[in-house]
Amino acid sequence: MTRLTRFKLSAYARSHRLFPPAIGLLLMLGIFYSTLTPPGKELSAYADSAGLLIVVFAWASRSLLDTEPAAQRLVSMTAAGGPGREIGAGLLAAFTVNLMFAAIAVVTPLLHGFAATPAPGDVARGAVLHLLGLSAGTALGALTTHPIMPSPAASMLTLLGGYVALLLVSLTPVGRFTVPVMPWMRAANDGALDAVLLPIAAAALFWSAAGLAAYVRLRRTRP
Amino acid sequence: MRLSQVSFRYSRRGPWILEDVELTLRPGSVVEVTGRNGAGKSTLLRLLAGFVPPTRGSVSGRPRVVGYAPDVFPTGQPFTVSAYLAHMTRLRGASPAAAGDLARRLNAVHLLDLPLGDLSKGSAQKVGLIQSLLGPPDLLILDEPFAGLDERTRAELPAVIGEIAAHGGTVVVSDHQNQLREFPGADHCLVADRAVTVHSAGRPAEPDPGLGSGSDSGSGSGSEQDAGRAAGQGPATDRRAVIEVLVDPGEADEVEQKLRADGYTVRRTS
Repeated sequence: MTRLTRFKLSAYARSHRLFPPAIGLLLMLGIFYSTLTPPGKELSAYADSAGLLIVVFAWASRSLLDTEPAAQRLVSMTAAGGPGREIGAGLLAAFTVNLMFAAIAVVTPLLHGFAATPAPGDVARGAVLHLLGLSAGTALGALTTHPIMPSPAASMLTLLGGYVALLLVSLTPVGRFTVPVMPWMRAANDGALDAVLLPIAAAALFWSAAGLAAYVRLRRTRP
Repeated sequence: MRLSQVSFRYSRRGPWILEDVELTLRPGSVVEVTGRNGAGKSTLLRLLAGFVPPTRGSVSGRPRVVGYAPDVFPTGQPFTVSAYLAHMTRLRGASPAAAGDLARRLNAVHLLDLPLGDLSKGSAQKVGLIQSLLGPPDLLILDEPFAGLDERTRAELPAVIGEIAAHGGTVVVSDHQNQLREFPGADHCLVADRAVTVHSAGRPAEPDPGLGSGSDSGSGSGSEQDAGRAAGQGPATDRRAVIEVLVDPGEADEVEQKLRADGYTVRRTS
């Protein structure tokens, strides 16, 4: 599966499909840190970044998983030893790219963006929130790929609409039971993230896993 | 490998493409799959390759190493032929020399440095065949492998298929052009009316679909049965018309292939 993951990453990088989401990431980071974040507000900035970059993570996941033409996916299935391995390799490649994006999002403000260097604990909490964001984004992107949604227009609208819906639902009282983007932004801003980090991580990972399980299930009949 | 009571449809409310198919593929056998456009040949190949599970029934005993060449090789990929084949070789754990050997055999050495996007249909078909043969496969599935191939490769491919079978591999070929019509010992499998009919080492009798609908019968020289149908003889030809098409000799192969691909019976007279 590692070899197929490498093949998919190589195709993604060579096809230049990596550029649009990468440019989106850099633009958003440019906006987030256009003014220096004052000391003590670093975790809040990380929480906002992790929540708002979900759409970029979803975009990168979708574009990577759609890099291979449909017939090549079939060829890859036989070459890798079965449909499950092809699907797994695709998701692994999407996670790899999004991990790279998340690392850029965490490191960039340390170089330019924060007025003072935050405590290592805050950097670690920021990294955890970005991991939650990339998990949700990867799942959302996978569910809007070509095998699941053949229409590019419907797929892009679902991706954007899904992200907006995720934000809006997380504003409501049931928000903590969905992917709790707004709750983690609020908690970080109020300095109360540690108290809610565990349930927030559990909810975000649960819904990400559910999205990925739905993707794997749908791909069984949509090779 | 065995398909037991296999039925398949693409969606819960969609029409059945195949129903209650019973099929046994022996190691070392070569199976030519024919049927008109939309009959379900590609669906059968997908079930055999394991790309999709059957809606009902079961598929058992599928060999571990499966090779698959699609009917249209996807050239929209950012690799040269050699880089692509190197990836596929690593994926299959094949010998690094295997792709080069197959390229020499299928007359594709001159393609190795070209980007996939620059390949013609026939050249792309060769790349698809090469990657499917890396391994080598225990089950080889070829979807219209002869389309667009040059004469030399078209002549070589049956020999390659024969070698896979001689080593105990099973070869299934969707073949609109009936290039395997004289392949010794080949089983012939007709997909029609949601059913699969197998005739061991002989051609299945095909239902007459009437004027303009797809029958895959016929050969370059024409069997007696096909020639009789094309000439309007016998009871099965009552609803058929004979049209004479004159083309340049250089275009004859292409026109013949197109007509066969559209399901028409074709007889070459010169």
